[in-house]
Amino acid sequence: MFNFAFNSLHEAIYMNGHGLYVWSVVILVFVSLLGFFIGYTIKIKKIKDKLNEPN
Amino acid sequence: MIKKFIHQFASPKTYLYQVDRFYSYIFLISLITYTISITWGLLYTPEDFVQGNSYRIIYLHVPASFLSQSLYIAMAISSVTYLIWRVKLAAYLVIAIAPIGAMTTFIALISGSIWGIPTWGTWWQWDARITSTLILFIMYLGLISLHNSFSNHEKADKLLSWLVIVGAINIPIIKKSVDWWSTLHQSASITLTDKPSIDPVMLYPLIGSITGFFGLVICLVLLSSKYQIFIREKNKSWVKDYV
Repeated sequence: MFNFAFNSLHEAIYMNGHGLYVWSVVILVFVSLLGFFIGYTIKIKKIKDKLNEPN
Repeated sequence: MIKKFIHQFASPKTYLYQVDRFYSYIFLISLITYTISITWGLLYTPEDFVQGNSYRIIYLHVPASFLSQSLYIAMAISSVTYLIWRVKLAAYLVIAIAPIGAMTTFIALISGSIWGIPTWGTWWQWDARITSTLILFIMYLGLISLHNSFSNHEKADKLLSWLVIVGAINIPIIKKSVDWWSTLHQSASITLTDKPSIDPVMLYPLIGSITGFFGLVICLVLLSSKYQIFIREKNKSWVKDYV
C-alpha cells in the first residue's frame, strides 16, 4: 500500500505525460490556500492595529 | 430554551475566545492529515487502469468540490439561524463563509477543467454538473458583491440570508445532476448509502485528503469570521479589551 508508485523522481514529476495536469492543480490548491491564510492573517493584524490606536 | 442556549453560546465574544482556544490544534492536525494524504495519493497509490496518472487529480478536486457544496449548506443553516433566532454571529458567519466557498468552488471548477483535458479531451462541457457548479460559483460572487454594496449591515444581513436560503435549491441539483441527466461527469465514487466504487488503496488517501482539506477550510472560516467580528463589533468595549 505504501510503495512508491514511480521508478524515479523524474518519472513522478512527468507521470507519463500527465504531470503537467496533476502538478498544476497541486500548485493551484497550494497557492489558493496559502493566499487565503496569509490574506486573512494580514487583514486581522491590520484591524487589530487599528483598534489599538489611541483615539 | 433553544433561543436561550443559542444566545448564550453563540455570542461573538464567547465564539472568539473558543476560536483562539481550538484554532492551533485544528490547523496542525488538518495540515498534517492533508499533507500525508496528498503525498500518499499523488506518489504512493498505483496508476489507474483507465485514466492513467491523471486520476491523481481526484485527491485535490473531490475535497474542493465536496467543500464548495458543504460551505453553502453551512451558509444556509446560518441564514436560517439568523432569521429565526436573530443570532448576530450567524449573520457574520454567512458573509465570512462566502469568500472561502467561492475559493473552493473555483478550485473545483479549474481542477475539473484541467482533469477534463486528458480524460474527456475537452476542458469544458455545458453539462448539468459542471454548469450547476459554475452557477454556485457565480452565486458566491454575487452574494459577496451584494453584501459589500450595502452600507447598512443589518439590511444586508437580512437580504443575504433570504437569498442564500433561496439559492440552496442549487445544492441538490448539483448533487443529483449526474443521476437526473446524462452527463459527461461521472457519478459519485463515494456515497453514504452504497459501497464505494473506488478501490480501498485509492479510497483511504481520498478520505484523508477530504478530512484534511475540510479542517484547513474550517480554519479559514474561523479566521474569516474572526475578521468579520472585529469589523462589526469594533465599537464594543469587549473588542477593545480583547485586542
